[in-house]
Amino acid sequence: MMKGGPSQEDIRRHNLGTLLRFVHLRGPASRAVLAESLGLNRSTIMALTADLTAAGLVREELPRGPGRRAGRPSLVVRPESTRVYVLAFEVGVDRLVVARVGLGGVVLDRREGVRARDSDPADLLGVLVAGARALVRKAERDAVCVGASVGFPGTVRRSDDMIMFGPNLDVGDLRLGDALSRRLGLGIPVSVCNDANLGALAEHERGAGVGCDNLIYLHGDVGVGGGIIAHGRLLGGDEGYGGEIGHMIVNPGGRPCACGSNGCLEAEVGERTLLCLAGREEIPGQAGRDAVRDIVAAADAGDIAAREALQRVGKWLGLGVANLVNVFNPGMVVFGGTLRDIYLGSAAQIRSVLATGALAAPREKVKLRTAALGDDTTLVGAAEFAFAEVLADPLQVLARLRAPEGSTVS
Amino acid sequence: MNPAGHGGGAGGGEPVARAIGSPAVPDGAGPDRYGAPYAADTLTDHDRLARGGGVARWEPLGMSVTPALDLRGVDKSFGSVRVLHDVAFTACPGEVTALVGDNGAGKTTLVKCIGGIDPFDRGEYRFEGRPVRVGSPRDASRLGIEVVHQDLALCENLDIVQNLFLGRERRRGLSLDEDTMEEMARTALSGLAVRTMGSVRQRVSTLSGGQRQTVAIARAVLYDSKVVVLDEPAAALGVAQTQQVLETVRRLADRGLAVVLISHNMNDVFAVSDRIAALYLGRMVAQVRTADVTHRQIVELITSGASGDLGPRR
Repeated sequence: MMKGGPSQEDIRRHNLGTLLRFVHLRGPASRAVLAESLGLNRSTIMALTADLTAAGLVREELPRGPGRRAGRPSLVVRPESTRVYVLAFEVGVDRLVVARVGLGGVVLDRREGVRARDSDPADLLGVLVAGARALVRKAERDAVCVGASVGFPGTVRRSDDMIMFGPNLDVGDLRLGDALSRRLGLGIPVSVCNDANLGALAEHERGAGVGCDNLIYLHGDVGVGGGIIAHGRLLGGDEGYGGEIGHMIVNPGGRPCACGSNGCLEAEVGERTLLCLAGREEIPGQAGRDAVRDIVAAADAGDIAAREALQRVGKWLGLGVANLVNVFNPGMVVFGGTLRDIYLGSAAQIRSVLATGALAAPREKVKLRTAALGDDTTLVGAAEFAFAEVLADPLQVLARLRAPEGSTVS
Repeated sequence: MNPAGHGGGAGGGEPVARAIGSPAVPDGAGPDRYGAPYAADTLTDHDRLARGGGVARWEPLGMSVTPALDLRGVDKSFGSVRVLHDVAFTACPGEVTALVGDNGAGKTTLVKCIGGIDPFDRGEYRFEGRPVRVGSPRDASRLGIEVVHQDLALCENLDIVQNLFLGRERRRGLSLDEDTMEEMARTALSGLAVRTMGSVRQRVSTLSGGQRQTVAIARAVLYDSKVVVLDEPAAALGVAQTQQVLETVRRLADRGLAVVLISHNMNDVFAVSDRIAALYLGRMVAQVRTADVTHRQIVELITSGASGDLGPRR
């Protein structure tokens, strides 16, 4: 197909987005640094920052601290973190988190709640809406919400954000995104994404995997989720269900999985299996994460059942990672959620299986890391996802959102 | 159709060029491999291990970087007891090298040699490729080698900033430059710890074991060290704190420092190390890539000095 070059307007939009994205991800930067990093000349940078400043997305100020350089100091461009924000929702099996995250990735405020495993999905919506409203009320008067996203532990269809399957948290046919958007009434759509996919995004952009364009993120909650970043992009597959690493079959004929199959990675290393192997009961009310941490601590203290449980789980996890390393040749595999604790508690098993099970060439350079964002991978990922639109076309999106009700913006 | 579909199948038109232009040559196989200090032996240990033959020796495994620390032929005796026999040891920037061995294998002695506390009797000491003499801790710290000892050597009655700058205080004229020191301490700590530890003016006696370990490690960051040696950093820590220390150790290496970690815990070793060096009765029996070995092999090396193909030639 023949296509003309990008128009002047396209280039400008692209440059605005790139500049905003730079200060959003890397933090405040001087005009000089921006010019060098983005490969644009300083007058272009000046024009772009002027546009972004007028839109209220960034602000320029003199550098802080004593400047010892000769000459006029280069102005520092800062994202307007308190004025431009998104709402990030994390729906976990045991916990619910809502956060107001400012441009630049600053968590401005957050509300957290515990969720009972047998609670009604309708309550879920109520808790999220109440939390979000409280956060919006506390925002500055001239602040604008530019997006909202939910991280959900289940498979989500990309075309309409429909939750297709949530083995550990069944919401029936509730259209979570639409319902939230309607009840919030902020005039913005709320997107729903798989939690581990968001975790992959977060670790890639702000966590352990910055600079690593081929990364696999494994997230342990009750089950095991996954997100694959290939060539710097999230691998979604045909309909966005991609990256369900937890349902990779590692042990044919193994333990039954909630998905109906047997021997899925999730069934072999999930929280319930670990508890069962360690001879512990699932205690209602106790968050799963703490139960997993208890087992790791007990193993460290010499509890033989706990130690063996961790070792068995570690072997299956190692097998799963070996398969992933062979198939995707990732530069890094990141363990998050409860898998962080499991990795640190059974690394000897995981890496032994990897050493014997994966091909020598792809395993040679693969780095195994724990999530640098700790327990907030999903939340940070949701925020990044919610920022995507404004970063792609800053002025247009902001103009639309700031426009008074009813009026149209060309 | 993508003509390079069989060659990795990356997206776009790019793979075609890549598939033809660069065959599967590992990083270390470029021309600089022959210019590296180990030019005599172009076969890496990794190749040898992969082919199942030969002996894992101490040479760096197929690398093109100059090791930060490179000891060869180190002998050390205390009176008539020979503690280290002809030990070779390397640590590379950006990597965690785990030093393992049974009690009395010579780990701590080797660390004392590295740190200049107890210099070795015979042997070669190279730092970033050039031969150096390290006869005292001062020599070591001048080169950028920081040793964090088991007991941490922190002063409990002083606060974090005072500890970090002990003996190397910043001055402004006649007085101490407290503001700069505070700011530097804060930056160094926030770069290391996931959770910040409140005020940098807290006394060290109020800190937990893990936090103290972080303060001790922060000293290394502050002085722009090139090599950090940690002697059993996780001993006497709880699980959560150990995990934090391990992540700190990893982050330190990911910033480009060469980290040497002594540990008895195989999980800790496998969780963060890139290479494992095993000492057995004062001899270095293997220095191998963590990605190439199993738990069982390392345990065998520690307890019997050999494991299959790994270990010294008999």
